[in-house]
Amino acid sequence: MSALTPESKVRQNDQVVARELSPAEGGVLLHLESAQYHGVNPVGLLIWELLDGERTVSEVIDAVRDRVQDPPPQLDDDVMQFLTDVRERHLVVVK
Amino acid sequence: MSSLQSDSLKGADAGERTVGTCYGFAIRSSLDFLFLRAEDGEAETLRVTAPSTPPDGDAGELIQQWRPAPDLPFEGSLYRDGTRFQFQTAQSRWFFIDVDGPSVTLPEDPNTVRREERLWGIPAILCFLARGDLQLHAAALEIEGEAIVIGAPRTHGKTTLAATFHNAGFRLLNEDVTCICDLSAPHIVPGPAVLRLRRDTAERLEIRNVTEVGQRDDRVHFAIDPALRGDCRPLPLKALLLLRESAEGYRLDRAAPADAVRDLWPLSFNLPDPRDRARCFAALTDLTRTTPVWNLYRPFRLEDLPGAVNFVVEHV
Repeated sequence: MSALTPESKVRQNDQVVARELSPAEGGVLLHLESAQYHGVNPVGLLIWELLDGERTVSEVIDAVRDRVQDPPPQLDDDVMQFLTDVRERHLVVVK
Repeated sequence: MSSLQSDSLKGADAGERTVGTCYGFAIRSSLDFLFLRAEDGEAETLRVTAPSTPPDGDAGELIQQWRPAPDLPFEGSLYRDGTRFQFQTAQSRWFFIDVDGPSVTLPEDPNTVRREERLWGIPAILCFLARGDLQLHAAALEIEGEAIVIGAPRTHGKTTLAATFHNAGFRLLNEDVTCICDLSAPHIVPGPAVLRLRRDTAERLEIRNVTEVGQRDDRVHFAIDPALRGDCRPLPLKALLLLRESAEGYRLDRAAPADAVRDLWPLSFNLPDPRDRARCFAALTDLTRTTPVWNLYRPFRLEDLPGAVNFVVEHV
């Protein structure tokens, strides 16, 4: 598995469906083949929605920063950690 | 698939009539049933015939298998060909289901109680899933014209609590398989009027207003008295309860929607294909948006069951 870098492009796995529960709750993801379920908080759901396969990881981080009120200083690390987690669960595909 | 029995069953059997309702279907059959509810005049027809014979060729695509486990000695295989399914249980008994109709053909089985209970499992679930409904492995009860669903994994006391509600005079809508329709404004569709309990539990609870119809898998099987069954008209869903254990006392905690979906997902049945999984998942998330889901903490003791009933009636 290649390393995830700021230049990597990440897209949602076609076999995953996402549902928003509420703006405060975030959402849930289901891998349709494995039937594995994953909960994500509102920021996680925002990141998920940005994973169109066109933006680089760096651009995703910038987009999150633009959309989140009072972004934390470690936002870059948080986004990278989220992407690493969802990649390990086969929820995304890295180009 | 030429071996499917439903092809030869398009014509009406002699003596076929509407014999009652279950899961919102008017059951049309020449057979006798133990667990049906009263007719309500509006239900879609489900034809039930017998006997089936084992397929003489390809049974279709095998889509799911159940292996016997220590706590669940159930064994079965489900095959699909389009809208038609074949469901094989132990002793090679075959149920033929055509959800586009819908109709079910039952196998020969000297144990007609077991056969009817199997009918209201996978075959009936397939029929109401095709209607767009959602299934939950859960019990359901009527309280003042609304439905309460009690969900929990097997052996977590859901049927015992449901039986205590029944004893307290509340109508049991579903014992083990709950059908939910109209997901934008969820309603519960009553299922078979059956209750299955361990014999020692049934004796200690002194189950009332039932007739014992059999014993199997360490459980005594009861048919609820017809006068208490009502019909199959859907009832609005008031709340879902997830059973939890507490050392002492009763407590209700509202489950966060994400946690509710996580806990309800394993209790739902869906066909193992992406389309049906996505449909079921969407239905579950819709359900948690519209309906409160509570964690019900209660002591895991028989003597505390009436207290749990009173607590639910008072607080939910």
